[in-house]
Order: sequence, then structure tokens, then C-alpha cells
Amino acid sequence: MSTLIMIDQPSYGSWSGREALDMAFSLAAFDQPAALLFTGAGVTWLRREQDTADLGQKSVEKNLSAAPVFGIEAIFADRAACQRYGLDERSLIAGVTLVDAISALLNQYDHTAFAG
Amino acid sequence: MSSFDTLHILNKSPGHPRAAQCLALLSEGDALLLIENGVLWLSAEGLPSVCRVFALSADVAARGLGNTAGNETRVAFSDMVALSLQARKVISW
Repeated sequence: MSTLIMIDQPSYGSWSGREALDMAFSLAAFDQPAALLFTGAGVTWLRREQDTADLGQKSVEKNLSAAPVFGIEAIFADRAACQRYGLDERSLIAGVTLVDAISALLNQYDHTAFAG
Repeated sequence: MSSFDTLHILNKSPGHPRAAQCLALLSEGDALLLIENGVLWLSAEGLPSVCRVFALSADVAARGLGNTAGNETRVAFSDMVALSLQARKVISW
């Protein structure tokens, strides 16, 4: 069974996005195929050079860099949302696949879930 | 043997952007299961009639909507399991 975890919440300001990331990493740690899709304000997770030193939190950029280690199969981002939030190839972190048709992507997964 | 293509489990009330996204994706052959604040759609306008609609009766009753008449089928917690097994895939909104 393959699972797509969707994140549509901004990276800071609430914990629901990190809970979604925990769900994805837990699935992958137990060898359940899992991928991440960022939509809406969730794409702001994917910006390079996040500096959270003064926030006293680990940056979600660092959290996400562990995704391949855990075995997350892919990190997708909605292209239109990236444009809305001023993200292009230069400002996105490495390893993100831009997608145009979310409904087609959802069709490829047995289970899709949000957190929060 | 799947009775539904996608089971959409919606727990977001009208006005939540994710609810609008869910309703826009519904197609014939899907099923919509309203739970938690998602059952508030039973008292609001805008619920499409494109596919079958189920609502968790405990959440409906808790919100005082037990007497509203609609086309939805009321289900108990135990039926949720059966519904998810009847679907080819499940989206938890």
C-alpha cells in the first residue's frame, strides 16, 4: 500500500505540518512506501537557506533533508503554488519534483492523508 | 471487489479551503464520508450531489443535526471500517 502525505500548512506557526512529516517518516521507517506532496502555503517548506537560530527550532529544511535517509520515495510540489509563493528552481531545496496535475498524482496512491 | 473508487473522508467544516478542494475532486463512483466538523456540511449549502454521501451519526447527533433530512446515509463508527474496505483508495482530508 502506498501513501501520499500532503502538507498544505506553512512551515512555521503550527505543528501540524511537522506531524505530517512524522507520519511520512514513520511509514518509510517501517518500509511502507510513502511520498510527500506540498500544496498551497505548504510549499513554503521548500525554500532554501531557512535560518531558525533565533526561533529556537530546527528548520524544516533540515528535517526534510532527512527524507531520503528514511526512504521517502519522492517530494512533490504543486507548481502553481510555488509560483504564488515566489519559488523557482534557484530558491527551492534540491530533490523536489514539480507537478501540475494533483488529481492525477492522487490517483497513483492507495491512501492520501493530511495532518491537522 | 471495490464498490467505490475513492472514499473521501472529510472532517473540515464549510469555509475551510481544504473542504473546497475535496468537494471539487469528487466524481461519480466516489463516496464522501463526513465526520467531525465535516458533518456541518449537512446544514450548509454547496454539497454536490455527484456521488454517495455518508455521515457519521455520532458527530451528526452531537451537533444537533439528527433531525435534518438529506440524501446522506448515516453510519456508525464500525461502518467506517467497512466503507474504507469497499474503496479502491482513501483520501483523508
